[in-house]
Amino acid sequence: MSASGAAVAAGRVRLALALAAGKGSGAAGRFLNVSGGTSLPGAIARRVDPLVLQKVAAASKARKAAITGSNGKTTTCRMLAALAQATGISVAQNRSGSNLLQGVTSVAVRGADLRGRMRAQLLLLEVDEATMRRVTPEVTPDMVLVTNIFRDQLDRFGELYSMARMLESAIEALPWHGSAVLNGDDALVASLAPRAQARRLYFGLRTEGVGSEVPEHSADTIRCVHCQHPLTFRRAYMSHLGDYECRGCGSKRPDLDIAVTAIHPSPDGGNDVTAETPAGTLQVHVPLPGLHNVYNAAAAIAGAFALGMLEPGSARSALEALRPAFGRLEEIKAGGRRAVLSFVKNPTSYNATLRLIMQRPGRKHVLAAHSNTVVDGEDFAWLWDVDLEALVPDLASLVVSGTRAEEVALRMKYAGANLTDIRVIPGRQTALDTALARIPPDEPLYILAGYTPMREFRRIMQRRGWVPPFWEE
Amino acid sequence: MEHAGPMTIRICHLYPSLLSVAGDRGNLLALTRRCAWRGIGTSVDEADVGVTPDFSTFDLILLHGGQDCEMRVAARDLEAKAGSLREAIEDGAVVLAVCAGYQLLAKYYAPVDGEPITGIGVLDAVTEGGGTRFMSHIAVGCDLGQGKQRTLVGFENHSGRTYLGPGADPLGRVIAGSGNNGEDGTEGARYREVYATYLHGPVLPKNPWLTDHLISRALLHRYRDAGTPDALEALEDQTETEAHTAALRLACRPPGRRRAASAALPRWWRAGSQRPAAVDLAAGDDQATGAGMAWTSR
Repeated sequence: MSASGAAVAAGRVRLALALAAGKGSGAAGRFLNVSGGTSLPGAIARRVDPLVLQKVAAASKARKAAITGSNGKTTTCRMLAALAQATGISVAQNRSGSNLLQGVTSVAVRGADLRGRMRAQLLLLEVDEATMRRVTPEVTPDMVLVTNIFRDQLDRFGELYSMARMLESAIEALPWHGSAVLNGDDALVASLAPRAQARRLYFGLRTEGVGSEVPEHSADTIRCVHCQHPLTFRRAYMSHLGDYECRGCGSKRPDLDIAVTAIHPSPDGGNDVTAETPAGTLQVHVPLPGLHNVYNAAAAIAGAFALGMLEPGSARSALEALRPAFGRLEEIKAGGRRAVLSFVKNPTSYNATLRLIMQRPGRKHVLAAHSNTVVDGEDFAWLWDVDLEALVPDLASLVVSGTRAEEVALRMKYAGANLTDIRVIPGRQTALDTALARIPPDEPLYILAGYTPMREFRRIMQRRGWVPPFWEE
Repeated sequence: MEHAGPMTIRICHLYPSLLSVAGDRGNLLALTRRCAWRGIGTSVDEADVGVTPDFSTFDLILLHGGQDCEMRVAARDLEAKAGSLREAIEDGAVVLAVCAGYQLLAKYYAPVDGEPITGIGVLDAVTEGGGTRFMSHIAVGCDLGQGKQRTLVGFENHSGRTYLGPGADPLGRVIAGSGNNGEDGTEGARYREVYATYLHGPVLPKNPWLTDHLISRALLHRYRDAGTPDALEALEDQTETEAHTAALRLACRPPGRRRAASAALPRWWRAGSQRPAAVDLAAGDDQATGAGMAWTSR
C-alpha cells in the first residue's frame, strides 16, 4: 500500500471511529436520560475526527440547505422538511433546535453510516447566525435561507450590521447554481450579498388588512441600509418587516418571488394561507398561530421552491401534521394543572408571544425565567424593549426564576407589576412547583423562558411524564 | 424648599428611535417611575433627527447608544443642535449619555473602518476604534461628591477606546470590566452635570442611587431660584438592591470558573475548547454542550 493510500485508509478509519463514538454517545445519552443526545454526538465525533462534518457533507449526494436568521429558524426548518417529505424526499435535520457547530455535526453523525455516507436526500440544517461562518465552509450548502435579522444577543453577535456581514460572506460563498432565499420584507436581509453569484429569491407578504402603518417601537431596521434615511412603510406587517421604500435614495423592497397574498384565520387558531410562487398559486393550511408563523411558512415555501422540492398539490396538506416545536406555546397537562410553555429570546419573539397570550381570555398567571449561559448570552438589556407593560394589567400572579431572576423581577417592577405579586425563586424546580401551586385548576400557567431555563423546565416535566422527551419531537 | 405645588422635571429624550440599541428605554422608565413614586411629575419630549428644541427648557437630557451607521446620522444632525445643547450644559442641565451618546458629546470617534465621526466636544475626550469588543459585566466605583463611594453595575458592549483629557473627570474607577479603554482603569466621563458612561444594561434601573442623583440634580436645575431642594424621599428598593447585588456578583465572578471545571477533563478533550480572553465574534460557537450549560447554572 502506498503512503498516500495508507493516509486515506487512516482517514477513513478515523472517520468511522468518530461516527461510531458519536452514535454511541447519543444512544448512551438517551438511555441514561442525561441529554437529548442532540449536541453530544457531534461534540464527541469532532473530538475524534475534527473533519467529520466536512467528510460526511462531501461524501453525501444530498442537497444541503442552511436555515439561519434571528427568529423562526426551527419552525421554518420543520415546515420545509414537511414540504420536501410531501414530495417523497427523505430529510435529515437537527430537529431539536440544537443549532451550534456540535448540534449541526450531530445531524451528520446520526444520518451517516460508518463510511460517512448519508441516505437522506436533503440535509436540512438549522444554524445559529454566529455559527454560520464556521458551518458553511464545512458543509458547502446549495441553499442559504435567512428568515430575518432582529436584535438578538448583541453580546454574542456585536451589532446587527456585523452579523449581516457574516451572513453575507456565507451567501457569497454559494456556488452559481445555488440559491439564497431572503426575506424581502426585512430591509437588511433583502440588501444582503448583491454581488453573489447564486440566484437570490425573495419571500414576503403582499396582503391587505394585516399589520399597521408604522413599525412598533422595538423595530430594528427602520432606516435605509444604503443611505440611513428613515424608511417609509406602505405597510409594516410585523416589527420592521413590511413593504418599505426609501425616499432618500429610492431603494425599495425587492419584487417578491414568493408572496403571501391572503391570510384567513382558521378555527384551530392557525391560518389558511395563499401564496403566489413561480410554481403557481399555492394554498396551505398553517396550523400554528400568529403572523410570525405565516412568515415561517412563506420562508419554507420559498426554500422548498429553491431546492426544487415544491409541489403545489402535495403542499396543501403538507403542514397539517405540524405541532408547535417544543416550547412554542406548547400546551402541557401538568399534574392536574395546565401549563403553556413559551420560548422567548428577543424583543420580537417575546412580543409576538405576548400578543398571542393576550388574545386568550382570563387573568394571566406567569412564570418568567432567564439564565445567563453561553447559549442565552450574558446581557439581558433587551428585556427592557419587551412590551411587558401590556401584560401587567392582566397579571394575576408572577414567579420569576433562572440565574437572572433578579433582573427579570426588576424589569417586572418597572413595568408596573405589583410587588406583592412577584415571587423570586431562582431554582427552576421550586419555581415551577410554587407557580403551579398558586393557580386555580381551571386557569393556565404561562411559562415564558429563555432557551436554557425552557429546556430545564421541560426536563423536569419530562421526568414527571408530563411531556415526551424532546428528541422524540 | 420654597416651591409650592407638585414639582415637575422636564426630560428630553434625544434620538429615541435612532439611538436605542440595547434596552436604553429602561433608563427613561427608571427616571419617570421613580419620580412618579414620589409624586414628582415628569414631562418627556422626544427630539429626533430634524427637530431642534431649545435645550435650555429641559432639566434632564438623555442620549443613548447606537451602531456606527446610526451614530453617523446622529452626528450630522447634532451639528444643528450643538449650540443650544452646549449652552444648556454650561447652564447646568443634567445629561445622561451612554455609549455612542457618550462618544458624541466628546471630540471625535475614529472607527477602525471608516471616516472619523465628529462629536460636539463638550467632553474633553477622544475615542479610537479597537479590533475587539469589550463585552462583559462591569462594576465601577464612583464618588459623585455625596461623601461616600457608590458602586455602579451594568454591562458594557463597545469597541471604541475612550481617552480622557484634563478637562473631563472620569465617572468612576473600574472595579471589574474594561471601562473607557481597558488600560487606565477609568470609566465614563463627567463635566458639570454631564454623566457619560459605557454601561448600558440599561444602567439606571439597577443603580437607583444614580437615578436618584440625576433626579435631584434635575430638580435643583428646575427650582434653583427656590433655594436648596429637600432630600429625595427614600423608596422601597429591595428589588433594585437584589438586582444590583446580582449584577455585581456577575461582574466580579472569577473569569476561570468554566476553565476550572474543564481542567478536570482529560487534555485531549480540552484541546481547542478554551474560550479566548478577548471576546471575538466567533466565541461561544463551540461550547454549548449540555454539560457547559450546567456549569453556568446556579
